[in-house]
Amino acid sequence: MRSTNFCLSTEGADVILATSSDEKYPPENIIDGQSETFWTTTGMFPQEFVICFHKCVIISKLTIQCYLVQTLRIEKSMSKDPVDFEHCIEKDLEYKEGELQTEEFSFPEFQATHLRFIILSAFDTFVSVHRVIAEGIAQDI
Amino acid sequence: MVKLAAKCIVAGDPAVGKSALVQMFCNDGAHFQKNYTLTTGVELLVKTVPVPETSDSVELFIFDSAGMELFSEMLDKLWEQPNAACIVYDVTNEQSFNNCAKWLEKLRTQTSGVHIPGVLVGNKTDLIDRRVVEQKQAQEWAETSGLEYCEISVKEMENYEVPFHILANSFHQLYKEKVEIFHSLVNWKTGANQATDIKDL
Ligand SMILES: Nc1nc2c(ncn2[C@@H]2O[C@H](COP(=O)(O)OP(=O)(O)OP(=O)(O)O)[C@@H](O)[C@H]2O)c(=O)[nH]1
Ligand SMILES: [Mg+2]
Repeated sequence: MRSTNFCLSTEGADVILATSSDEKYPPENIIDGQSETFWTTTGMFPQEFVICFHKCVIISKLTIQCYLVQTLRIEKSMSKDPVDFEHCIEKDLEYKEGELQTEEFSFPEFQATHLRFIILSAFDTFVSVHRVIAEGIAQDI
Repeated sequence: MVKLAAKCIVAGDPAVGKSALVQMFCNDGAHFQKNYTLTTGVELLVKTVPVPETSDSVELFIFDSAGMELFSEMLDKLWEQPNAACIVYDVTNEQSFNNCAKWLEKLRTQTSGVHIPGVLVGNKTDLIDRRVVEQKQAQEWAETSGLEYCEISVKEMENYEVPFHILANSFHQLYKEKVEIFHSLVNWKTGANQATDIKDL
């Protein structure tokens, strides 16, 4: 079976919450399928965003492209609404000046309707998130 | 249009006028507190400052902290991850100026190497006869310490908005610089540089 990236607006995904919003660098840039565009944080940490798939998907691999993110926590929900989030992973990322952080997380397959990304701390005052990829197989709710 | 948010620490010796300054700024010059009530912890005040010539603004979360040692030792937790610093001294009190180095040091231990905008503020310039710290001396120290500098009199309502406007503008500038860097991470023309190993899904 072909695997899909669910974190795409063209696949029906939405960013339904983001704690920062600069209209020039909106959270939708995370799910537009491009690494060039990004969302910026504009204030104090923690900062977070929630991606809604509007359906139940099975995910086996997550990839995030970002810059200056230090501690990242990812949570998942299987509810219809963005509630009852469960811990997925928390990690301290590495960072090299001038290089986009590309972080891959492999899991045993899990179901989700929502993913929540919490940036707990950063290497600088502001961070950028360029892209999130969730690979897996779609399933009806 | 963007509204940035910054945690701004106001630090300095006891009775230099930190609370008077913060209060005056946050109530738009409506009231000068004549009697001294020492701050015993941290008082948080929030005010949004527009950035000139843009439609952007900076929401300052101002942490007015205690100058008294006994209380300031408990501040470490509240001072975590500051975004901007305002260090105040009293121009009639030499000791309060000398201690600015100590306050700056204390702040730097909280920022773990991240550069944050800072301003050195000489207050009580209305007390001309009692002045002991000269502008030149303070300005030089500010420069070598990487701080902006300004002199104010909260009592005479002179320049009391300036320190916060300086910090808001520097913070906004910092954001713009970072965004430039974010843009430069991935090259538009080639599609991606470091990102090439991500297979197109
Ligand atoms: N003459 C004069 N007095 C001032 C000025 N600004 C503040 N004061 C007085 O200085 C005293 C101390 O002011 P505060 O603002 O309470 O001092 P603080 O720095 O907050 O002190 P702590 O909270 O103990 O750290 C008060 O009596 C104020 O009225 C000024 O510009 N000129
Ligand atoms: Mg006070």
